[in-house]
Amino acid sequence: MEYPFLTDLRKQSEQAIQVALGRALPEQGDIDWQAALTGDVGLDSVQIMNLVMEIEDELDLSVPVEMLAEIQTLDQLAERLCHLQKERS
Amino acid sequence: MSLFDKFQPLSAAQSALSGTGPAAIATPIESVHSATRGSINGNEVILAGTNNYLGLTFDADVVDAAGAALRGLGSGTTGSRMANGSYDAHRALEQELAEAFGWPAAIVFSTGYQANLGALSTLVGRGEYLVLDSDSHASIYDGARLSHAETLRFRHNDPDNLDRRLARLGKDARRALIVVEGLYSMLGDQPPLEAFVEVKEKHGAWLLVDEAHSFGVFGNRGLGLTEACGLLDRVDFVVGTFSKSLAGLGGFCVSPHRQLDLMRLASRPYIFTASPSPATIAGTRKALQKLLGGQALRAQLHRNFQRFYAAAKELGYRLGSDIPGPVAAIILPDRETALAHWNGLLAAGVYANLMIPPATPSGLNLLRISLSAAHSDHDVDLLIAALTEMTVAA
Repeated sequence: MEYPFLTDLRKQSEQAIQVALGRALPEQGDIDWQAALTGDVGLDSVQIMNLVMEIEDELDLSVPVEMLAEIQTLDQLAERLCHLQKERS
Repeated sequence: MSLFDKFQPLSAAQSALSGTGPAAIATPIESVHSATRGSINGNEVILAGTNNYLGLTFDADVVDAAGAALRGLGSGTTGSRMANGSYDAHRALEQELAEAFGWPAAIVFSTGYQANLGALSTLVGRGEYLVLDSDSHASIYDGARLSHAETLRFRHNDPDNLDRRLARLGKDARRALIVVEGLYSMLGDQPPLEAFVEVKEKHGAWLLVDEAHSFGVFGNRGLGLTEACGLLDRVDFVVGTFSKSLAGLGGFCVSPHRQLDLMRLASRPYIFTASPSPATIAGTRKALQKLLGGQALRAQLHRNFQRFYAAAKELGYRLGSDIPGPVAAIILPDRETALAHWNGLLAAGVYANLMIPPATPSGLNLLRISLSAAHSDHDVDLLIAALTEMTVAA
């Protein structure tokens, strides 16, 4: 069963990722949500942390640094952001 | 499948930098003759890639003090401060550091890295927060990992961004330790410290200033940026190192909070390592005396970096900081240009540092030149001439 509330949060998370990724990698085409952040997307560890900082400002929330170590793909990042937004609300 | 496979990308990056000359990363220095001269690849070079800001590594009094302790107390303590490694001299150095700041407590660690690791991992824990400048040194990030505190980052040198992050914490901000550096070693830039202090006070948070690169450099007595900004009564902790202006090896944490001493009972990087050797402590104590009374050394250092910054700007280079300081980070467009500059300077008899991603912020490629009080006016002339030669050749 899908909750509309969670779907909205997921959409907001994806939009924030798209905006931040567009700034970090302007030449990036369509987003593959299963892409690995380091390998497929081609970001190094510093770029990932900067990407997340952009997203934090976009969504007005804080992502703990230790949480980043568990995130491998854009889909996992979107899911985490979704949960953080849910916790906040 | 090998345990070493994961290092392949790093190995490839290192290989990409190798050419016919000396390695640009972990450059073999054959010998060091003075605070400003050494030999690389058989040639004498000016050392402009060290952290020897006051040039005390060959100071006769510092060397004599270290030598006397080596002969009198032996080559090592062979144990930790918690066991057999607490000599009178360790305590004396702690007292001298505390007195210099006018504070009641100081703890000496075996390295500067361990000072951050030991302080951060102990001052905060589960259920508390570390709030770090995004350009923080690796020792700060590693201290955060060891602390198990929730770690948040704010935009580099941006007090408004810190304010927003602390606001999100609400009343929990009172359990947050903010960490900034007095001088950022990659770009050579300084924080707007007073603005950070105001944000800390607004939220009731705590503030630690890492003065690793600014101790000895700024402030009338050389205590760092905190002293220079007149903020010694508004910060909670200062961390520093002995391996830069103090020309030795080790680190410290000082605080106006007397309870800092309790950290000795819980700080793993303090407890589970051997204490600094007698020679290290004796040399550091002598260097600290020179640093605290070293206005002439600081004046020469400031004169040197003001001249170098002005010349680099005149040559059209973009620097990592608008405010001159002991680290001049020249921002170059790509890795190849940075490597060419590094090799060019070495050929002209100048050893500097090549800094490339991922060690650098924002993916920048940097040629980093460090000035020292031991550089003479003529040395600075030579550094500027070598850079000018590079510019003309490019």
